[in-house]
Amino acid sequence: MSGQDVTITLTVNDEEVTLPVEARTSLADLLRDHLGLTGTRLGCEHGVCGACTVLMDGVAARSCIQLAATCDGRHITTVEGLEGDPIADRLRDEFRNHHGLQCGFCTAGMIVSSTDLLRRKPAPSETACRTELAGNLCRCTGYVGIVRAVMAAAEAHRSATTPG
Amino acid sequence: MKPPAFRYVRAASSDEAVDHLVRAGADAALLAGGQSLMPMLNLRLSAPDMLVDINAAEDLQSAELLDDGTLRVGAGVVHSAVEDGLIPDATNGLLAHVAAGIGYRAIRNRGTVGGSLAHADPSGEWPLIMSAVGAAVTIKSPTGSRRLPVRELFVGYYTTVLAENELIVDVRVPPMRPTNRWSYRKFARKVGEFAQSICVAILDVHEGEITGADVWLGAAADVPLRLTTVEAALVGRPVESASDDIRDAVIEDLPESSGVGAGSAEERYLQHLRAVTVCRTLDQELSRR
Repeated sequence: MSGQDVTITLTVNDEEVTLPVEARTSLADLLRDHLGLTGTRLGCEHGVCGACTVLMDGVAARSCIQLAATCDGRHITTVEGLEGDPIADRLRDEFRNHHGLQCGFCTAGMIVSSTDLLRRKPAPSETACRTELAGNLCRCTGYVGIVRAVMAAAEAHRSATTPG
Repeated sequence: MKPPAFRYVRAASSDEAVDHLVRAGADAALLAGGQSLMPMLNLRLSAPDMLVDINAAEDLQSAELLDDGTLRVGAGVVHSAVEDGLIPDATNGLLAHVAAGIGYRAIRNRGTVGGSLAHADPSGEWPLIMSAVGAAVTIKSPTGSRRLPVRELFVGYYTTVLAENELIVDVRVPPMRPTNRWSYRKFARKVGEFAQSICVAILDVHEGEITGADVWLGAAADVPLRLTTVEAALVGRPVESASDDIRDAVIEDLPESSGVGAGSAEERYLQHLRAVTVCRTLDQELSRR
């Protein structure tokens, strides 16, 4: 049985889209199934693993527990849309340099959450980094490489953007 | 892991939301941040027939200090706004400090103060804190509005006194006095998880002596618990000796274990953890204004 359809208009990675969705469709399923943006992952579908993290109106949000219907008029940035973002690009380099991933399933969520973190806190301590990323679970790495990568990206981004 | 089908409407104001609730009858749920509701729907723990989306209700979004210093927080204000100091401070930093420990940043960007109170999780931060500070909620119904102390809002696990056609529109926090000090402690095995034990103490201190105490414990019963024996033991003490020999009073205030888990290793551990949490809350240097 399918439920009621809602037509929504939203901006995804700077492109405006209008489409009907079943009311119970999550933003994650809209992104993945309707728009083919499969960078965003589904791990737990109840908000605890962080694999589904996107930026919604500029801030981190769990797309698995966000109804697409509530996103009418909103701006969504997925990991695909962060290509060219100076912080995200730096994170990608450092994730590679510091072995911040193995299977890669958590990585999109890590990149989005870390980008949001470094935008708010450009110079996090290691403790702050670990606390802020506590909502992004990784089953492979033990987080060591991830934390090193985020700290390194923070340092590199600060050096690159500090005048003089 | 997908929710069952439901109807969906958007309310442009709290009045419109009440209208929708009345027309929908018993099987409607309010959707604010959805950080508690949507997991329940995804896990099919709940299957409302209709969702009333109140995200666009602008009258729920603001926060301001009233003339008497009371902080009025719209029910739709998100935890991260409190965390980031984007609302006025009437509690000497307590609310912002507590907000920063709720879940994860992504959750805090969407979860709301009103939603947390309506959800009534006894391990939750706002049910505990808003009880301890003596806050009151404004509740809107088809017949008008009423004010209710948060201490009277919770009656059981995930259960409030709210009728099915009512919604919380704001919470009003009385201003702390210059003589107030607070201490707060949340214990979870992992950052962001719901508390295994959570305690807040707000003391009134005059010339180094405790003249009043509000000590509350969450995650220990089906509603936030007031520790009245501990409060009575604290009054008259010098503030530096707040936690001296207080453990007996704490034990007396802890709920008795009963039911299937009573006597189990886990229950003994939790009782011990609760006592330690309260003692350490009182031990911590209490924030000075």
